[in-house]
Amino acid sequence: MRNRASFLVPAALMAVVIGCEQPQARFELTERTKDLMSPARTAVADAVEENFGTPNDLVAWLRFPIRYGVHPGHVAGGDGTVSADSFPAEFDEPVASDLSGAALRFTSGKYQGQQVPVGQFDADAGQLVLGAVLDPPVEQDTQFQVVGDVLQHGRMLYMTHCMHCHGVSGDGEGPTAQYLNPRPRDYRLGIYKFTSTKQTDKASTDDLQRTVKQGIPGTYMPSFMLLKDDELAAVVEYVRFLSIRGEFEKKLVDELYGDYSTAAVNDRLESGESEDEIESQLTAYIQDDLPSTVDFASSDLASSWTNADTEAAVVVPEKSRVPDTLESRKRGRALYVSDRTKCVTCHGPKGRGNGSATNDYWKVPGSNETYDSRGLHDLWGNKLSPRDLTRGIYGGGRRPIDRYRRVYAGIKGTPMPAFGGTVLKDDEIWDLVNYVMSIPFESEQPSPGNEQLAVTVSDQPR
Amino acid sequence: MAKSWCIFFIFWPTLALAVCWMAPAWGWWFPGDAASTLGARIDDLFYLILIIVSVVFVGTHVGLAYVLWRGSSFNEPKALFTHGSHNLEVIWTIVPSGILLFIALYQMDVWADYRVQSAFPPEAVRAPVAEVTARQFEWRIRYPAPGKTLQLTPQPDDLYTVNDLHIPVGRPVMIQLRSDDVQHSFFVPMLRVKQDAVPGLVIPIWFDSVRSDTYELLCAELCGWGHYKMKARVVAQSDANFKSYLAELHREQFDDGVPSAATESSEAAETASKSE
Repeated sequence: MRNRASFLVPAALMAVVIGCEQPQARFELTERTKDLMSPARTAVADAVEENFGTPNDLVAWLRFPIRYGVHPGHVAGGDGTVSADSFPAEFDEPVASDLSGAALRFTSGKYQGQQVPVGQFDADAGQLVLGAVLDPPVEQDTQFQVVGDVLQHGRMLYMTHCMHCHGVSGDGEGPTAQYLNPRPRDYRLGIYKFTSTKQTDKASTDDLQRTVKQGIPGTYMPSFMLLKDDELAAVVEYVRFLSIRGEFEKKLVDELYGDYSTAAVNDRLESGESEDEIESQLTAYIQDDLPSTVDFASSDLASSWTNADTEAAVVVPEKSRVPDTLESRKRGRALYVSDRTKCVTCHGPKGRGNGSATNDYWKVPGSNETYDSRGLHDLWGNKLSPRDLTRGIYGGGRRPIDRYRRVYAGIKGTPMPAFGGTVLKDDEIWDLVNYVMSIPFESEQPSPGNEQLAVTVSDQPR
Repeated sequence: MAKSWCIFFIFWPTLALAVCWMAPAWGWWFPGDAASTLGARIDDLFYLILIIVSVVFVGTHVGLAYVLWRGSSFNEPKALFTHGSHNLEVIWTIVPSGILLFIALYQMDVWADYRVQSAFPPEAVRAPVAEVTARQFEWRIRYPAPGKTLQLTPQPDDLYTVNDLHIPVGRPVMIQLRSDDVQHSFFVPMLRVKQDAVPGLVIPIWFDSVRSDTYELLCAELCGWGHYKMKARVVAQSDANFKSYLAELHREQFDDGVPSAATESSEAAETASKSE
């Protein structure tokens, strides 16, 4: 015993001195990427890493509408000294944030086009220390821009507040995710449930900020009300960055998956193709076609995310809310049970979220297979209960405009369809909204003799 | 060497007094003076007890040090041996009991005002300002519509916020505290309010703020892995500001998204303040 104890003490001391090894944060590839044959997987992984970097060494690809934080400036004259690794800097606009670790790119002079990391910037002294040595030193009036401080700030906040559920890569697989139902959002499909934008549009920056600020009632997503405005903006930019990164990877994999997934390769081998043939085809594809795929995927992403922040993407009712009267609620109820909306199928006759659809086996979208379990599923493959409308808890917010947008544009990534523009007119949507918002206040007792379908329409003032 | 025990016993009260003396300057003391009337009285109780125990603690150690000092010199006559003294024992039982009894009786008023519902300020009980529901890991707040009274069950015109409790300044307010899931604790250190939120119970608590200010609201009961992030704010503001806050909340909550002249101008003001 004594011997063992005498061994343990120095061991414990060593552990204290050396410390436990910090696990290195890294972006994980998706399951589909991992399922590609090895050269294809490497090509995708390389393309993604080249354009987005790693968690500790992010790449700001200016093609995307992400507010990385861009600060143009030039090498100033004056009192400061220009040396190989520092120079007096003057920014076009005053810089208050921490620039250390951001990228500095020269836009004129002999280093034009070259990049160096910023060591630190002392705003009071106006002296910028580089994280690298430039020999010979830069000349006065050389133009440059410092990029990425907002993204960096966002990453820090994300790692503190979001990572433990949403994961380092934004895949919704953080260490606490397994305890949660509903599961945390996997950003990598670029789809967010509760938005103010039209059905086919991405989430706007305002939508994501609102979600972070308000939380999502009825889920584990808490409110981060006390984040400062710049912190909120930074963390949302980082989430958009992760989203775009994930989608970029998905788009590349989509191109390759049909021909080079494990299953596809096996099929091809069985049908008589040789392994060399497949590999040389793949090599040719990677050399000739992948660059244009990268180009196409990124421009597509850039335009769809840019579009989400435009006014045209936002759902704005043409008519104001129909007065919340008993008649309006009755019309809404009629729509609720009608064949045009089929609300009842999922949300149930009394709005308890127990419609007949929750007992059916549903098809996996884009395939002929059905899910293993009964009931509705979302795009991420998780089982999903239709909202119980009697509880008065609304994930996307309780304002009438929020309810309107849910009906108009649906809930993205879920079976909740979009009724706006085609199926329902503005007045009808408002009737439906008025009815849905009155459901939690309906009287509990069904009228006698008609238990099955009885619903009392509440006439309390809103 | 013989006197080292004297130094040992005199060292601790000296250190304790020195640390107490310096603590406020180091920020080791209360987070500022109590910002509520009840809080000031709670602080007074704390200081009273602190003084009593300090006197006893310092006195005991000085006594110990003195006895050891005397005993360590060899020119003293032989020490007296005794089997105990009945009178002395009666004294050292009665004096501390008296002190404890005094503390027990003296604090009853504060305790009653804080915890006994019949002693709550009637104006606070008449119109609870909000219902605060603790939930993993945030505070959800429900106000009655302007001009209405808070009901126990949600009403169609209630106003909702999260992590942001506003109260009128300068008068007692009452909130109804509940929990959605596990046990939490409503803790506003500056107002000296701490009350557990227990699933299944609606617990009324009252407090006031003597000045317009923003306070931290924390969860003081380990409620799960996200306990640390369960942080909100309490904003104490003038009656007029509180009313306009509720009116603004009402306007926002019943917003139908159709731009009207009024909302457009306020949105313009918002963007202007954001870009500042």
